[in-house]
Amino acid sequence: MESPNKPNMINGREKMRRNISLAKVAGWITLSLGCLSLIVSIVYNSQILAFIGLGLTFWGIILIYIRSEEYVKGSLLNATSLSTFATLNQIIQELGYREKAIYLPPKYLKDPESNKAYIPKNNLSKLPTPEQIWEKENKLFIENPQGILLIPPGSELTRLFEKTLQTSFTKVDLQYLQLNMPKLFVEELEIAQNLDINIENNKVHVKIENSNYLSLAKEAAKFSELYESTGCPLSSSIACALAKATGKPVIIEKQQINEEEKTIEIEYRLIEEEEKT
Amino acid sequence: MTFPLDFWQISLITAITAIILLITSEMLSPYYGKVNIPINKKRLKQSSMVFSVIFLGTVALRIIEILLS
Repeated sequence: MESPNKPNMINGREKMRRNISLAKVAGWITLSLGCLSLIVSIVYNSQILAFIGLGLTFWGIILIYIRSEEYVKGSLLNATSLSTFATLNQIIQELGYREKAIYLPPKYLKDPESNKAYIPKNNLSKLPTPEQIWEKENKLFIENPQGILLIPPGSELTRLFEKTLQTSFTKVDLQYLQLNMPKLFVEELEIAQNLDINIENNKVHVKIENSNYLSLAKEAAKFSELYESTGCPLSSSIACALAKATGKPVIIEKQQINEEEKTIEIEYRLIEEEEKT
Repeated sequence: MTFPLDFWQISLITAITAIILLITSEMLSPYYGKVNIPINKKRLKQSSMVFSVIFLGTVALRIIEILLS
C-alpha cells in the first residue's frame, strides 16, 4: 500500500534536485577532476597534467566559493509594495491630510532607532514638541496640533541601510552620509548606478541615477497624496536617514523623475526647530 | 614520486588566475554599468585579491632569494 505522503515526498525531492545549482555542481566536478589530474601527474611525473590539475583545482575552489547570489525579479518590487502604498494613500486622502510629511529626528521618539513621520492636518499646524510625540508615539492621530503620526514607507529600507553599513544613523553626521551612501547604493546594495548628495545650507539635493526603484517611484507617483507628502519608498528612506543623521526634522520638498535620463532628483529641507514651533 | 611542478611554475599559474579574476571582477563592477550576472561580486573580488597576494608573495620570495644569493 502506498503512503498518502508519497506524492509530497516526490515533489520535495524534485524541488531539491532543482535547487542544486549548476555552478555548484560544475565547481565540484572541476575540483574533483583537478585533484585527480594532480594525483595522476604525481604518479606519472607529468608536468602537463600537473598544470591542468592545478588550474582545475584553483578554478573549482573559486567556483564553489563564489556561488551565485539570491536575486528576485525587479517586477516583484512593485507588486509587493504598491498595495500598502495605495491603502495608505486612501487613508490620508479620505482624512484630508494633504500637507508634506515631516520626518522626525530621534529626539522626538522614545526609541531613537525607529522612524516616524508627522503629517500636519493643515499648513498652520505647529510641529509638536518631543514631549507631545512621546505621549502619543504609539497612536496614529495626534491632537493639538492636529496631525497624523505614521511609519514612513522607507522605514525598513533605512534599517537595511544601517544594517549593511553596520552602523546607526543616529551616531553619524551628514558628511558620513554624503561619503557612504553612494558606495552603499552602488556597490553594496546595487540599487543604483550613481548617487550624488549635495548640501546647501539647510537643503539637501540627492540625485539617483539608473535605479531599480525608478519604476516603483513612477508607479508610486500615481498615488499623488501620499507621494507628495512622504515621497516614494526610496526618497522616504533617505529622508529617514537624513533626519537621524542631522537630528533635525526633514521635509521632502521636491521629487522629480526623469524617465529619459533614468534619474530621480529629490530635494530635502532640514527644518530648524524655530521655524515651526 | 615527486610533484612535477616547481615553485615558479606554480607562481605562473597563480599569476594567470589572478589576472583573469581581477579583470573579471573589474568588468562586473557596478560602476561600469548594470551587469545582469547573478554572482557574488564581493567574493569574486576577495578571491582575485587572494590570488594576487599569493602571486605577489611568490615574487617577493624570488626577490629575497636574488638579494641573498
